[in-house]
Amino acid sequence: MARVEVEVNGTRHELEGVEPRLLLVHFLRERLGLTGTHIGCDTSSCGACTVLLDGKSVKSCTMFAVQADGRAVTTIEGLGSSAELHPMQEAFWAQHGLQCGFCTTGMIMSAVDLLRRIPNPSEGEIRAGLEGNLCRCTGYENIVAAVRAAAAALAAMETPKTIGELVEVGGR
Amino acid sequence: MKIIGASVPRPDALDKVTGAARYPADLVKAGMLHAAAVFAHRAHARILNIEASGARALPGVHAVLTAADVPYNRFGLIVADQALLCEDVVRFYGDRVALVVADSAAIARDGAARVNVSYEDLPAVTSAQAALAPGAQRVHADRSNVLLHQKIRKGDVAAGFLQADVILEGKFTTGWQEHAYLQPDAGISYWEGEKLVLETAGQWLHEDRRQIAAMFEMPEENVVIRYAKIGGAFGGREDLSLPPLVALAAWKLRRPVAMVWNREESIIGHHKRHPFTITTKWGAKRDGTIVAAEIESIADGGAYASTSVEVLKCASIFACGPYSIPNVATDGIVVYTNNVPSGAFRGFGTPQAHFAAESMVTRLAHALGLDPADVRRKNLYKEGDIETTGHPLPPGVSVRAVFERCLEEKAARFALPARRPEPANSLRRGIGIACGIKNVGYSFGFPEQATATVELDATPAEIRGAIVRVGAAEVGQGAHLVLRQIAAETLELPLEAVRMVTDDSSEAPNTGSASASRMTFMGGRAVKDAAEAARRNWVAGAKPEATVQYRPPRTTPLDLETGDGIPNYCYGYSAQAVEVEVDVLTGVTRVLRVISVHDVGRAINRQQVEGQIEGCLAQAVGYALTENMPARDGKLLTPYFSTYLLPTTLDMPTEIYPVIVESADPNGPFGARGVAEMPLVPFAPAVAAAIFDATGAWVSDLPMTPERVLRAIEETRRRTTASAEALVR
Repeated sequence: MARVEVEVNGTRHELEGVEPRLLLVHFLRERLGLTGTHIGCDTSSCGACTVLLDGKSVKSCTMFAVQADGRAVTTIEGLGSSAELHPMQEAFWAQHGLQCGFCTTGMIMSAVDLLRRIPNPSEGEIRAGLEGNLCRCTGYENIVAAVRAAAAALAAMETPKTIGELVEVGGR
Repeated sequence: MKIIGASVPRPDALDKVTGAARYPADLVKAGMLHAAAVFAHRAHARILNIEASGARALPGVHAVLTAADVPYNRFGLIVADQALLCEDVVRFYGDRVALVVADSAAIARDGAARVNVSYEDLPAVTSAQAALAPGAQRVHADRSNVLLHQKIRKGDVAAGFLQADVILEGKFTTGWQEHAYLQPDAGISYWEGEKLVLETAGQWLHEDRRQIAAMFEMPEENVVIRYAKIGGAFGGREDLSLPPLVALAAWKLRRPVAMVWNREESIIGHHKRHPFTITTKWGAKRDGTIVAAEIESIADGGAYASTSVEVLKCASIFACGPYSIPNVATDGIVVYTNNVPSGAFRGFGTPQAHFAAESMVTRLAHALGLDPADVRRKNLYKEGDIETTGHPLPPGVSVRAVFERCLEEKAARFALPARRPEPANSLRRGIGIACGIKNVGYSFGFPEQATATVELDATPAEIRGAIVRVGAAEVGQGAHLVLRQIAAETLELPLEAVRMVTDDSSEAPNTGSASASRMTFMGGRAVKDAAEAARRNWVAGAKPEATVQYRPPRTTPLDLETGDGIPNYCYGYSAQAVEVEVDVLTGVTRVLRVISVHDVGRAINRQQVEGQIEGCLAQAVGYALTENMPARDGKLLTPYFSTYLLPTTLDMPTEIYPVIVESADPNGPFGARGVAEMPLVPFAPAVAAAIFDATGAWVSDLPMTPERVLRAIEETRRRTTASAEALVR
């Protein structure tokens, strides 16, 4: 049994007795109760279990919990809250980018990482970036639209902040 | 009207985007026991002995349950012919013979691996043709392999073919399709006093309750089914698979039990879309009038009856597509085999029938040198036409308007140079069209009803709010929002003032299944009628609530020999145009653009109707091109997402044009019909026609994998070369 120190959604967890073969997804769901990360296959095909590891998307069924030792994991629960949604969550809701919702959390995490890498992606880049996440309900149209909307929203958020800083500088 | 037709965002999205939504596997709590099934993993065998001492000896194992533990060991949607745990014979790979209950899922699975079952293999019937062969092994000893042989006879086919200037024959095959709802089957079950509670995912609360109560010989009111968030269904959760297993464990051990299937268990453990072999002959006059059609459809029903007989009847009544043909003879046969059971899947026999029918219509047009659109115009159903089953179509026959709209959209959107320059030497582009017809709601005299209760929160002066009780499964399609919109509109209330009670069989009345594209029509009509009745009571000074059971116009069973009957009360009509690109060196086919036109009667929520069209098209792309599920001796060869290829973002066309036509149904709420299944109906034959347009080759087998497309191209080339050589000689 191993000891794992991992930061999940900003909270430090030190866990003893972690079975070395325990997958990260099971660790998150069963040990930490973070059930927003879903399991849809067992062959790392569907992407429903996608989380961020040190800010980069990873299918949490493809690594062991012990491999996350000393690293920071963000799950859907850490991305935003119902009171303050992340722009990507907001966009999936507004653009009807979900139906049953089972793929949604993993899809959102992949999309967040996509925008980190490519802030203003083309449709082709969005589609290529989400190819590892399966959705059986939506046909992806509205998912692509949601990512595009989130990219625009994030870009708009950047701009006022810069202006705000300038104003602050000017006022000094 | 302000709420009907508006693209109101779905309220359940908040929990779904934050991860707060609880799907069945998220309900597992510490201290629960866990169950794992022992699967047969053989096609047909007699159980000689179940040796469970090794499993029972494993620390943490609480019980190994077998057939002897099930009071009434039979279930099924129409015929109770399936054992929850097999007692003497296993009939397909996914049959269950024992259930291990343990402290953890890992121990339960470990225990399941230690249950040693000795079998004597029996001859396996692994194709529909084998099931029909003289002297074939029976799949069920006490009954014939033929589940149903449904005939439909209209006019005189022999006389009809005599009038034909061209007669074409065709043979089509279609394969299994896996629902692949993204949330694998799971559930928890526990006792609440005298009541056995099952929290899971399904499509019909009260039907799940009926079958499970029967298995445990309990009064139905003592079984409570609660649906968690449901991660897709598509017909795949209509049959009971995992839910009664976890209920058995809780019922027997009187402790809370959880059960979660992995993807492989889900795929081998639940039914599929029926494979069909359709042999057909069509005749038309020189002007394109279709005068006769003869169709034999043979379907593989698999090991248990499920809804096979209804699927076959749907495939039979739609064997000619949406065309009025004076002389028709169809023979539909569905059989038991030792393959995975076949059952409901979005479209319910209709996509298979249309693949053959619509392909034949296009082939006839080419044989006659006519435009496929003109041949359709000549033969499409119109108001008052008589179905092959001998009675007029339900009023509101809009397929001609739908088709014309599709052609207009095609002219506008595919109007770039008729034949664009080929992007590369081996890439060919082509365009195909097809039409579709599919029933909304239950057919053939099956008791069709939906019940809803509306309780008003009202003072003598005003209605302040309402509670709507309606047992409608929210499988992702947005039913709860649509029903809420209908209630709000009817009562002139803001959406927030309407509270929905929907997911508990003891709290909501029986609204029927979320299937057959029926929930907006049937559930919506029940909600609307109940809301109006509650308001009438309020106006009259009576208690401001009402329960209404809505029953649509009557349907009747089909006569077995002639097909005579009134099959349905409402139809949805579709037309599609698709453009594909085929790589003639590899056979790889991509769909580039789709126009998908549907008469939905009335779009209650436009955004969600479009979402249904786009989502259904993804399943249609898979069905037409990528989702290949072969079997060998009864064993499914692609039971993983790594081998069963669902369309990804990159497989879907980047241009999808959903087009909504609204020609009101006289009975639907605000005129609504249904949409969920419709885009799957004409899609595969539209793609086949586009591949023909691109390459000159017809593919007659679904899915149209690269290998099949390539083979069709090569065969066509060989035939053309041969006939050219013959000409030279």
